[in-house]
Parts: sequence; C-alpha cells; structure tokens
Amino acid sequence: MDSLITAAAQALAKGNPLGALKRIALREDAPALALRGIAMAQLGDLGKAKLLLRRAAKAFRPHEVVSRARCVVAEAEIALVSRDLTWPEDALKDARDILDTHNDRLNAAHARHLAVRRLLLIGKLDEAERDLRELDPEPLPPASRAAYELAVAGIAMRRIHIQAARAAFMRAHAAALAAGIPALRAEVERAQRELDAPAARLIARSEQTLVKLDEVETLLASKAIVVDACRLVLRNSETVVSLSRRPVLFMLARTLAEAWPEDASREDLLARAFRAKHADEAHRARLRVEMGRLRASLTAVAKVVATKRGFVFKPPQGREIVVMVPPFEDENAAVLACLADGEAWSSSALAVALGASERTIQRALDGLAAAGKVQSCGKGRARQWTSPPVSGFTTSLLLPGPLPGV
Amino acid sequence: MKRRAAEIIREYGPFPDAPKVNGVTFDGERIWFAAGASLRAIDPESGKLTGVIDVAAHAGTAFDGTHIYQIAENRIHKIDPKSGALLASIPAPGNGGDSGMAWAEGSLWVGEYRSRRIHQINPDTGALIRSISSDRFVTGVTWAEGDLWHGTWEGEESDLRRIDPETGEVLEKLDMPAGTGVSGLESDGSERLYCGGGDSGKVRVVRRSRATP
Repeated sequence: MDSLITAAAQALAKGNPLGALKRIALREDAPALALRGIAMAQLGDLGKAKLLLRRAAKAFRPHEVVSRARCVVAEAEIALVSRDLTWPEDALKDARDILDTHNDRLNAAHARHLAVRRLLLIGKLDEAERDLRELDPEPLPPASRAAYELAVAGIAMRRIHIQAARAAFMRAHAAALAAGIPALRAEVERAQRELDAPAARLIARSEQTLVKLDEVETLLASKAIVVDACRLVLRNSETVVSLSRRPVLFMLARTLAEAWPEDASREDLLARAFRAKHADEAHRARLRVEMGRLRASLTAVAKVVATKRGFVFKPPQGREIVVMVPPFEDENAAVLACLADGEAWSSSALAVALGASERTIQRALDGLAAAGKVQSCGKGRARQWTSPPVSGFTTSLLLPGPLPGV
Repeated sequence: MKRRAAEIIREYGPFPDAPKVNGVTFDGERIWFAAGASLRAIDPESGKLTGVIDVAAHAGTAFDGTHIYQIAENRIHKIDPKSGALLASIPAPGNGGDSGMAWAEGSLWVGEYRSRRIHQINPDTGALIRSISSDRFVTGVTWAEGDLWHGTWEGEESDLRRIDPETGEVLEKLDMPAGTGVSGLESDGSERLYCGGGDSGKVRVVRRSRATP
C-alpha cells in the first residue's frame, strides 16, 4: 500500500472518516475509491458509498482478489445498514472464503459477523448462533469486538436470556471504549438501554403493570400460565401452545385470561373474538364450536369450563394465569417493531424479515401510513419506510423469530 | 534473468501495538520499521524491540548514515534517530502514492506504488532527478552492494527483484512464498535483505545471492 492510503485507512479505523477523506478525496485509483466509499458509509451517505465501492471493485485488477473481496464485504455492510435484505448472501460467502484463504482473518471475521447480523435481523436465531460460534472474538480489534458482543447480546436478548445479554453488553461497552469511537459507544449504550425499558404489559387478576425483559424472563420460568399476545401463544414453564395461525382462538383465550379468575361473558367473548355486537343464536352456536376447539388445543395447559354467563379458565392447582401484551398494541406491531431500529426499510426488506408477502407488508404499511405511524421517502423501488422511535419501549418481544424459551 | 524462490531465513514479530509494517531500514545496528503511528527499532540478534519514536510512519523508511527519512502522508520527514526530533521535511515525489524508500549515493530513491515507478530525488529539496519504470507495483526499494533492488506486491503476489538502474530491466528475481507480501526492503550491507511484511506485522529476512564478480 502507499503512504496516503495507509494514513487514510488508519484514520478510518479510528472512526475518523473526515480525516480519511481529507487525504484521498481527489484520488481516483482503486484503493482510494474503496476507502472513500467506506468513509462515505461512515458519514451516512450510503448511496454514494455504494457507487464508490462498485467503482473500486471494477478498478482493481482481476488478480487483486483480496482487495475486490474487501469491497464486496464493505458493500454487504452498506446493504445491511440500509436494510437491503435481498442482497445476495452468496457473494458475501465467496468473499469470505477468499479472505480466509488469503489469511485476511480480520476481514473474514467481519464478513462472518455481517452474515450473523443479517440472520439476526430476519429472526433466524439458530443459524445466527451457529455462525457466531465459528467466530473467535479473541483476535478481533476493539471495534470489531464490540460489534461481535452486540450480536451476542442481541441473540441473548431475543432469547430472553437477560443475564447473558447484560454480560455481553458490558463486554461490548468495554470494547467500544477501547476502540475510542464515540459513535460505536453511543450505539452500544442505546442498545443496552433496551434492557431497562418496558418490554410488555402484564394483565394479572385485572391489574396491569409494565415489565422489563428480566421480569419477562422470571415470569416465563415461573409456574404461571402466560397468554402471550406478542407471539400469540399460551405457555407454561413446560409447554407452549401456538395459536398464531388461529387468531380467533387466541382472542377467546386472551379474553378468558383477562377475566380470570372470574368467568367471561358470552357477550364479551363474541364481541372481542368475532366483533359481534349482538349475541344471536348463530353466534352462540359458533362460540360453542370455537370453545370446543380451544378446549382441545389447550388440554396440556388449562381447562375451559362453561358457566351460566359464559366460560371460565380452570388452570391446574397453584397456577396463575397472566396475560402478556406488547407495550403498545397495533395490528401491525411486528412491522413497527422492525422500524423501531430507526433505520429506513424497504417493503421488500420487511417482507424478508417478517416472512410475509410483499403485498401483505404493503397493506400494513399503507394502513400505518394512513394512521400517521410511519413515513416513506423515495419513489418506486427506492421507496423506504421509517417510523418515529417508540420512545421508552423495547420491541424485542415483537420482532420476528422463534419463540423464546422453546 | 536469474530467478529462484526467496529463501526466508528469519522472521521478527508481529509486535504489540504495531499491526502493520509499512517500511524498513537498517542503521548498522538496529532494524527500524514504520508501524503507522511510530517508528520502532529491533535488535537483529535477539529480535527484541529496543526503541520507539512517536512519528507518523505510513510508508517507506531510509537511513543515510546519520538520519532516518520517513514517508508520512505526502511528505518525507528527516528525523534524528537519537532524539526523535523532526529536522526537515520535503514533498514526496508520488504526492502520497509513495511506498518504499532507500538512500544511496547522496540521493533518495522512492517507489511509487500503483504507478510502478522509482524516483531518484534530491534529499534536501525533493527535486526530481529521474524516474525508472517497473512492470509491477513497486513497494520497498534498496541498494545492496551497488545493485538496485525493489519489492513488488500485486494481486497477492510478491517478489524481490534486482533491476538495471539505467534501463529498469529485471536482472534477477526472488519469488516470495504465496501470501507473503513485501511492504518495505532494506539491505544489511551484506547477505541479508530485510523485508517488511505489511498487514502480517512481520519483518522477514531473505538471503540475497551475492553479486557475481
């Protein structure tokens, strides 16, 4: 490498993109284009950054494979940050292999780390965890170490292993301090604050309380039966019954649980599950059928018994029933939960992350936009969506992914 | 042209707080290397670090018998190795695209990396005397017993080559093992060539074939 490239790279590694640009802003050779691209990315101009990296990758000679691979990794990072989740994973994997075979362990580790973050974003926690195990954090310099620990914390938080998350955040914080990059430190602190923000509302014996993630962890480990409106499941410490594909049954269970230990009236049940205003004979018949189905699916968790007025939950001796609902309720809470990271998402990225069709996502976004809960910028394929941060709440329980504790 | 595999006879480093080696020189007793934010000295016998000068050191390093010359950004600084004091500064001929540097016969010889050239300049003024072209990216440059050598590093391949200082013709080539980059070059005045190892953080010693009489 030459002198100014080395100086600029050194500035970039210290989180000083302006210092890097000052040295190479007017240079058009391949290494300078690559560094300019990374500097623009650090400054938040992702569009320009992507173009510069593309030009750099072309300007490197075909046999400069490591330099080209580094450009691919940088471009993948920009794709990730701009929530372009349709970005080809294979290209990143190929680049990683090239860096591995040429002993560029640091950039190979960075490529792995990007893949983990992508998996985390789309809720593939098992795969993210498996890939993370392939990474040895020891040789990583502080900035990469902080990013690694953030991923570990992210997975632990999503799995509601709060102590493990807390420990990883502490390590991330120490690494960010050692790196001396203020933006990184702020990112760690912002993520860390999620641990102390309300994550859910609990409704138990008609009392409502806001709880943090560690209280959720304690609750999930207790003997209580939790009717979880974040994931549409019923669970006790041993069993999980998912009703995510049967929203009517879930709403019946939730209504029963909110009334517990009292019974819930037929009128209430009909109104909430079927949005029925009057309880006519047809509705009553349908309620009996759905109650039969609910009873059948909940045999392992609790009994449902008919009363004069309606129905009541009969949990096994000594088990409480608690309803857990998101801190804010919205039909499209999962979309809002993704947007809560403050980044601009495309509808295709939301579709990948939430495992839904783009059409469904588009409908949800239109609804949220009409209610003033999300904004868009750009047109056509470049259109992206943001939401004002839901201040003071964590949305971990609403993000896509497997059920925690299962 | 003679060609053979480079014979690496020793490796130093990597050293703590010096992740890269950007340039190498030898003052007769110690090997100095440019480590980004500092110049560091190694005892060639023990391989131990024996000195540090806090000065920006982004590319080539050279020694004229008294002073160290060090490329930082797009300048060449003249440094007193005893006190670490900055004595003078001239513009680098490649305007920051510079890589390796050597001192010989009253001139500085500076490699310009991607433009594949070696410039001979006046060490007091920086004035260009002449340029020699190579056909590979130029990294380290050194003179060894009257012969001009330079390192190359292009497309993950490196070699050390002796060239005709008049025509640039390659007279001899030592191929470095795959994955071993050369980021700086210096002769110890005898059998050894010291090679900076770039991102590996290592300084390697390669045996030089003696010039045939």
